[in-house]
Formats: sequence, structure tokens, C-alpha cells
Amino acid sequence: MTQRSVRNRSLLALAGLVLLGGGVLILFAGLDLYRRLDLVPPAGWPLTHPADVLLGSADRARWSSQGWWWWPAVIAALAVAALLALWWLLAQLSRRRPGSLPVGGTPPQEGVELRDRALGDAIATEAGALPGVDDATVRITGRPAHHRTRVGLTLTPEGAPGATLGALCEGPLRTARRSTGLPDMPTEVRLHVARHKPHRAE
Amino acid sequence: MTPDPGPAEHGSAPSAHRAAVPLTKEPDPSGRDVPGRDLTAGERDSGHRAHRPWSARRVPAALVASVILVAAVAALVDVVAVRAGRPASAWRRHLADELATRPVDDVWMLTGAAVAAAVGVWLLVLALTPGLRHWLPLRSPAGCPRLRASLDRDGAADLLRDAAMRVPGVGAARVRVRRHRIKARADVRFRDPRQVRDDLTAVLDEECDRLALARPPRIVVRLRRRTD
Repeated sequence: MTQRSVRNRSLLALAGLVLLGGGVLILFAGLDLYRRLDLVPPAGWPLTHPADVLLGSADRARWSSQGWWWWPAVIAALAVAALLALWWLLAQLSRRRPGSLPVGGTPPQEGVELRDRALGDAIATEAGALPGVDDATVRITGRPAHHRTRVGLTLTPEGAPGATLGALCEGPLRTARRSTGLPDMPTEVRLHVARHKPHRAE
Repeated sequence: MTPDPGPAEHGSAPSAHRAAVPLTKEPDPSGRDVPGRDLTAGERDSGHRAHRPWSARRVPAALVASVILVAAVAALVDVVAVRAGRPASAWRRHLADELATRPVDDVWMLTGAAVAAAVGVWLLVLALTPGLRHWLPLRSPAGCPRLRASLDRDGAADLLRDAAMRVPGVGAARVRVRRHRIKARADVRFRDPRQVRDDLTAVLDEECDRLALARPPRIVVRLRRRTD
């Protein structure tokens, strides 16, 4: 899993837990489940009775009389929440690219770099010429030190996925590894098959 | 395919995978998966072969982030406006009134709470499941242990349908590929249906091997006689 996947999933789980917890709290009080199930909520538990309201006047009075720091604190909390949400949203839109990759093995040759797009195009050109491959797109993502290769292949109706993967590994990917001296990089391949009408081969 | 004799850095990657192998190794689903068994014996990439890639969940994350952003900005603007001496906006007064007057056994409160709980469960499911159900994981080739491949389910269905159409006697074929089962329906125009069924099963098995699926699904064949 990538870092972004871990972050998205943790935050989604957190949001899910908050929504689920709030909903269940209201449902328990609203359907009077504490009394029906003979449960005794601990002291200070919010919402225990069906006649309770979410925002009682006692709560509002208590908040309003907290002193001068209360409203600045609320404003700061809201601003932080908005900024975090904005950062999370922007993180979905951007795609990290390594820019240029050091070439020449370890230690890298001084000053020799390869643009990620050039490497991707080279792999795509060689992969597109494999038998049974209709179209190939290659993108290099991630940081320069931990870059990943994403390959999208569209196979012709006569293509065989297993054999194509073997050829991709022995051909374009090995060439890329050998010619750049980069270590074995994680590669993700997505295979499509060109849509076509049913037809009788031969 | 021969194992890659390749550069020196290769030695480190497979050994790192080897540590993870016992955790993820699965019993072989069927006897006919001979190539998969070879890979397991070679323990080069068996840690990867049964795994579906995990989705980054970008769309749900973007949606939840937008909702939080809009709510936080609206509340922020209104709170600042009230601090600056202006009256609170209508939506905030309305919301506060509703929350202050409706008891929690009000039908709207109960509905809202049930919806919130359901959305919460859905978000938890999204967070904990791999997703990408439309992709079938493939076995990695022996030379590239860090390669992960998956095949579009519709594409797999097209390839299997073409294979089914090649069987003599089959007039039309429809194939549905699900994650654990492949259902093939075929119209038999001529020949003995039993023979056609045997041929069709053999051809589909062979085509499934060519697809190199990491978990070969079960194949179910349904035949219909058509002589018009």
C-alpha cells in the first residue's frame, strides 16, 4: 500500500467511527434502548432519555459563559479543521512524480539524470511493440528514491495476458533496469482487452 | 522463463519477500494450477500472487474532505461575522433552534441518526476493504518479483468468450466473469451436447491458464440446445 492509501484509509475510518458513534448514541437515547436493555449509562453520559435534546439551553449557557478565550478557541479550531480538510482534498488531486531519476547505479554518477517522462515513454514504446499488445501507457510516480512504475496495457483480442506479462518482464522492464542501473522497482500493471464483437477466429 | 541471473541488487529483494511468505501463503485452490504451484515451490513471488492491489480510495477521500471543508468554512465565516457584531445567518439560527427543540425520539432526529450511522459503517467498510473489485490479480512472472499485474474482468470475459466460440458446435456464447466464478452460457447448434460440454470445459480451462490468474475462479458451463 502506498502512503496515500494508508492516510486516506485512516482518515476515512476516523470519519466513519465519528459518524457511527454519533448516530448510535442518538439512536440509543431516541429509541430508549438503555431502559429496555437494562443498561445503566455512566454518570455524565450525554443523551440518556428520549426527551433529551442535542443542544440544551444549559449547554448553550455554559459555553457562552466560558470567558474571553472561548470564541477565539472555536475560531482557531474551525480554521485548523478547514485547513486540514483542504490539505486532504488537495492531496487527492495531485499526483507525485519523481521529476528526474539518478542514473548509473550506486553511487549515482554525478549530474546524470533521466526525466521520468523519458523513461516512461521508452518503456511504453518497447512495450507497445510486443506481440499481442495494442497500446501501452507508462507513468513513473513516487519520489526519486522510491519510484514506482505504472503500466497500462491494452491487449488485442488475440493477446494472452500470461505470456504478455512474461514478455514485458523480460523485455522492456529488464531493458529499463539495465540501461538506467536503477534497482528493481515496484511495478503495477493493469491489463485491458480491446473491446470487440464476438467473432469466430480462424 | 528462466530465473533472472541479473544484477547484484536482485539478491536482496527476494529475501525480503521470503520473510513475508508464510503469512500470506494460501493452500492451492485446485490441482490444475500447476504453474502457480511451481512458483510456490520456487518461493520467488508467492507473497504477491494472491493479493489484489489496494485502492488508494481517492474519490471517497475527496468527497469526505470536501464536505468537511465546506462545513468548517461556513461555520468559520458565520462565527467570525457574529464576533464582528453582525447577526448570525439564518441557517445557523434555524439549525440551533431545531437542535434545541427536537427531542431525540423525534422521527427526523432518528432518521438523521440512522443515516449517519449507515454512512459511518460504509466509510469503515471503504477504509478496511481492498476495493478494486473489477480487477483480477495475476501471477507475477518469475523474472520480476516486484511486478504486480491485474486484468480487467470485462477483458477476461471477452477473451474467454472468444475461446468458447472456437469450439465446434457452439453458435453463440456469453461469459460472465465474477471474482470467484466464471459462468459460461453457450448455444449448441450441432454435435452431441456432451462432447461440446467436454470440449468447452477443456478450452475454457486452457484459456484460464493463458490468463495466468492468481486465483483461478471456478468455471461453470451452461449449455442450451438451438437447432432452428
